[in-house]
Amino acid sequence: MTTVLALPAARTRSVRKKKKPDAFPYLLLLPAVLLMAAVNLTPILQGFYMSLLKLNQFTLTQYLDAPFVGLENYRQILFDADNPMRTGMGYALRNTVLYTLTVSVCAVGIGLGVALLMNRDFPGKGIARTLVLLPWIVPSYVVGTLWGFMWQRDVGIVNVVLVDWLHLMDEKPFWLLGSNSFWAIVIPTVWRAWPVMMLIFLAALQAIPEDQYEAATIDGVSRWKQFLHITLPLLKPVIVIQFMFQIIDNVYSYNIVSMMFGNGAGYPGEWADLLMPLLTRQSFSYWLFGQGAAVSFIMMTLMLVFVGVWLKTFRKSMTGND
Amino acid sequence: MKSLAARSLAAGLLGSCLLGHAAPASAAELNLWVMSTTEQQQADTRELLKPFLAANPTLRVNVTVLNWESAWAKITAAAASGQGPDVLELGTTWVPAISSMGALEQISEPQQNEVGGAKAFFPVMWGTTHRHDDPKVFAIPWYADARAAFYRTDVFKKAGIDPRDAFANWGSFKQAMQKVNGTEIGGKKIAALGYPGKNDWNVVHNMAPWIWNAGGDLLSADRKKSGINSTEAVQAIVYYTSFAAEGLVPKSALEKDSGQIESGFFNGQYAVIFTGPWILRQMATPKARGGQLETVTANNFAIAPYPAGLKGNQTFFSGSDLAMMKSSKNKAEAWKLLAYLTGREPQVAFSKMSGMLPTRLDAANDPGLMANPHYAQFMAQVKNGRHYPSIPGWGPLESVYLKNLGNMFDIVGGLKGKYSPLAIKQAMDAAAQEADQVLYSAR
Repeated sequence: MTTVLALPAARTRSVRKKKKPDAFPYLLLLPAVLLMAAVNLTPILQGFYMSLLKLNQFTLTQYLDAPFVGLENYRQILFDADNPMRTGMGYALRNTVLYTLTVSVCAVGIGLGVALLMNRDFPGKGIARTLVLLPWIVPSYVVGTLWGFMWQRDVGIVNVVLVDWLHLMDEKPFWLLGSNSFWAIVIPTVWRAWPVMMLIFLAALQAIPEDQYEAATIDGVSRWKQFLHITLPLLKPVIVIQFMFQIIDNVYSYNIVSMMFGNGAGYPGEWADLLMPLLTRQSFSYWLFGQGAAVSFIMMTLMLVFVGVWLKTFRKSMTGND
Repeated sequence: MKSLAARSLAAGLLGSCLLGHAAPASAAELNLWVMSTTEQQQADTRELLKPFLAANPTLRVNVTVLNWESAWAKITAAAASGQGPDVLELGTTWVPAISSMGALEQISEPQQNEVGGAKAFFPVMWGTTHRHDDPKVFAIPWYADARAAFYRTDVFKKAGIDPRDAFANWGSFKQAMQKVNGTEIGGKKIAALGYPGKNDWNVVHNMAPWIWNAGGDLLSADRKKSGINSTEAVQAIVYYTSFAAEGLVPKSALEKDSGQIESGFFNGQYAVIFTGPWILRQMATPKARGGQLETVTANNFAIAPYPAGLKGNQTFFSGSDLAMMKSSKNKAEAWKLLAYLTGREPQVAFSKMSGMLPTRLDAANDPGLMANPHYAQFMAQVKNGRHYPSIPGWGPLESVYLKNLGNMFDIVGGLKGKYSPLAIKQAMDAAAQEADQVLYSAR
């Protein structure tokens, strides 16, 4: 009886509490929120405004007071074939699409495969898990520099192994010149990217209740079918998110390409140039800052659309409600 | 009560974080930005400044070392924002660009006279202190670099070649390289010539002297159009790349950078390379201190000029100038520092530290420096120096050439179509078109 009587009083208190929220915690959060907005939103808005200006070498000192040209930069980038920003953009676009797809599929695939292997019990499991994480610990610009040495035709370790030791080819191929340079950027990127994929998959695998496998085993379900019908569906939210992160990372890839091909000197070539190195080179070294901002803004918008479509398409998969 | 105390503490902490503290600035403090040219630029610059600071005890100089790769972005940001150092080092090709942005303090005639004026410096270096079409001076030359041929005397001797004939002209140089190629030294075959192809910052600098010596130029006479696809320029580029196409430069060199080519020269891979005076310092430093003194190369090399083309044997001269920012609050003291660093003694001292050449004629001919026979030999080869045109838009143009000349080495390496003079001409036509677009869009 006392319990029943106490209930309305408690509800009344809670209703009163909802009506008058304590503003103080929000006040304390406000500076952080304002700071975050300033740090994130200001550059985006400023970048967009820059894309509406004729901002080049001669107007750079005026910065945001440079002549306002409206959408002229966008028109030049999209419709003026003679625009210097556009030189080589076809190659960079093609390479970025192929590179993003290849790296994302390989990194997620290898990460998942190794995570499945690492999820078993075997002696030295702890050490093995730590060791496979090593490539991810190496900073990407170091990866670019080191692989740049490894790909060298005469003395690089890749050709030494392939040709001198294994005799897989008659002649040492070039990796940093010509079309092979595409693989010269893909392989190190995958090499660096898969360990972190593996780590996240491993965490997800360990969250799958063991009894589901036990039940399936009792029912006589094969290991392969267990993978297809238990592991894969339960990992789907993680796979979807990992793919999205990989695609975003790889479209914006810069460090490895830049460091491998002379630390930003010159041109990685028609098979190794990506959109970000092209944008940086042609915007900063040709001093077309307004147009560079416009290309960045187009890329950012396309990426936002992609993320939106991706999230909408896989929303159910990610919440695990399908 | 407890809650009130916690809230007061939180608000207090927040307030103190937001308000912060501003350090009082000293009026006698100068900020100096220099590039990383020596191995220990910070320590070397401090050493260089010791006499200046002893003579000016009230001044303090904060030295910031920038690396060449990121310096351009930092300097343009400083120029655009007006928040920069008092004195800064600028690559010689950067002076017209940064001065055109209005960021540099003009150097008056009395100031120029104080450091000796134009006549005290290499004319080619003084030419970099102002725009070609404007006599207003915005910088003073600090140190120079030039290029010459370094060759292995033992290899030439074994191949039976007189170096004077070999470096006489383009025809004799090609013949000499054909003879030298594959000469065995200590049971190891040596390649005739080494030069980098792509992936290197020096591609344009390496090509320029050959283009000039053929009578070509990188820009048209009115400085409005590219000259990279002129008959003379293409002739020079075909001649230069033919060494790689004919196997006189190992194809593997084409993916290396300048540092790796220099290492190849020290290790006995190439009989000839074209490079700057800094390797003299490396070859005079023991291996224990990171040098090459004990190598066969360091004990068997000499220096020669560029072989003459139809229009002479000029070399590429560049280096760095020092300038004052307009935004400096201590202009008088900044000038004092600039005048000191571009003076005779500091230039000689910096040349010893860096291996670069002084820009002052009296410093370049300093008996202490000239006592080194290799230095004297180098100076004798580089009298005929030339620099790029001093125009504000040089930077973008050089980037276009860097990209296109680098990309051309895919053709030279046989990885993009067949190497032929026509293929090179077509590649240079494309380069010229892109360069013209960049020149046009910079207007």
